[in-house]
Amino acid sequence: MEHLVDIVLLGLLMITGFAIVRMRSLLAAAMLTSIYSLLSASLFVVLDAVDVALTEAAIGAGISTILLLATVALTTDEEKAPRHTPLLPLVVVIATGAALIYGTLDMPHYGDPAAPIHQYVAPTYLHDTPGVIGVPNVVTSVLASYRGYDTLGEVTVIFTAGVGVMVLLGYRLRRCNITGPGIRNLIVLRVIAKLFFPLILLFALYVLLHGDYGPGGGFQAGVVFATGFILYALAFGLGNAQRLIPRKLLRIMVAVGMLIYAAVGIESMLLGGKFLEYRVLADDPVTGQRLGIMLIELGVGIAVASVVLIIYYAFVSRHCQAPEDM
Amino acid sequence: MYIAVTIAILIAIALGLVRAFRGPTLYDRIMAGNMIGTLTVLMVAVLGFMTGRPEFLDIALVYVLISFVSTIAVLRVYIIRGTMDSSSTGSGKE
Repeated sequence: MEHLVDIVLLGLLMITGFAIVRMRSLLAAAMLTSIYSLLSASLFVVLDAVDVALTEAAIGAGISTILLLATVALTTDEEKAPRHTPLLPLVVVIATGAALIYGTLDMPHYGDPAAPIHQYVAPTYLHDTPGVIGVPNVVTSVLASYRGYDTLGEVTVIFTAGVGVMVLLGYRLRRCNITGPGIRNLIVLRVIAKLFFPLILLFALYVLLHGDYGPGGGFQAGVVFATGFILYALAFGLGNAQRLIPRKLLRIMVAVGMLIYAAVGIESMLLGGKFLEYRVLADDPVTGQRLGIMLIELGVGIAVASVVLIIYYAFVSRHCQAPEDM
Repeated sequence: MYIAVTIAILIAIALGLVRAFRGPTLYDRIMAGNMIGTLTVLMVAVLGFMTGRPEFLDIALVYVLISFVSTIAVLRVYIIRGTMDSSSTGSGKE
């Protein structure tokens, strides 16, 4: 049964991919990418990768669609007709695809217990996590503890993205006084937004704090949190959202999130452990692990939420009439 | 039971995709996108119960909240444009 769902979903994904390429209306293409993300997230659920599915739903279907739409709003809706013949790119794509498919021929079969990935460190992680880390969700323990360095690197990438957008589109981020055309008429939207806004923020906290037990964690929580404020900005105008979360605060919070993560690492060094070795943080090693994971998830969440909001502010505030600084 | 529901939802998603591809107006696409979002929520919930892991409902909840916001974002872009006529957006495929 699950194979059937896999095949149908993969087929739908392929059709959607072709449709996105053929679509000339950029707004419609942005909506189709959102549908694509929803479909691939369902595929991840079928494959039992619920953390990835949660991330794909929050980032792919939510934030990146919203950022794509914000970009489309700054340009035109129609894609320009390509001036060159698409023959050479087609050949390159087909050759690359053929090489990739050839590469998969050597790979072990899907779900093969003798596959190298099931032989190397995965059994150790699965076996040791309940005793050493003490969190039920093995994904969280791998992400935050066993591979804490990698995750620190990922947060640095997100931090760099936020800094890059600020460098390109203005470090101070424009203030927005306008509330947007037709905003006063959107009564239904405002009522619904008022209803949903606290629920989304509450759910973000749940995703953050419950990441040890179920799917979720700092990345997803940060994105969901930012989505809440984007909903607020959509319903009440960017000016009001900027009063709620000032740009100055965002600039500080990006660094704070990053610093919380790094500080946990340095604190564990000061307490006699290695960098990001959480077990020295408390008297009991398991408690230390849990405390360390919770703190770095908090740092990740703060950094991700701030970066997403900075990018959103930077994109949408290009519409604002008065480009006064601060 | 769950299998029948899953198949029905998959068929409904495929029908929604047809509407999203063919358009012809942007409203059709918005409706189709929203419908596929709702159906995905349903499918994740059903799959969760089918595989005996109802905690998948967390993901379904995220979908509800997120797909709602991105639909609103599409409509807001539309308002910002002030292009509420379907003439300029009707030409989806060429």
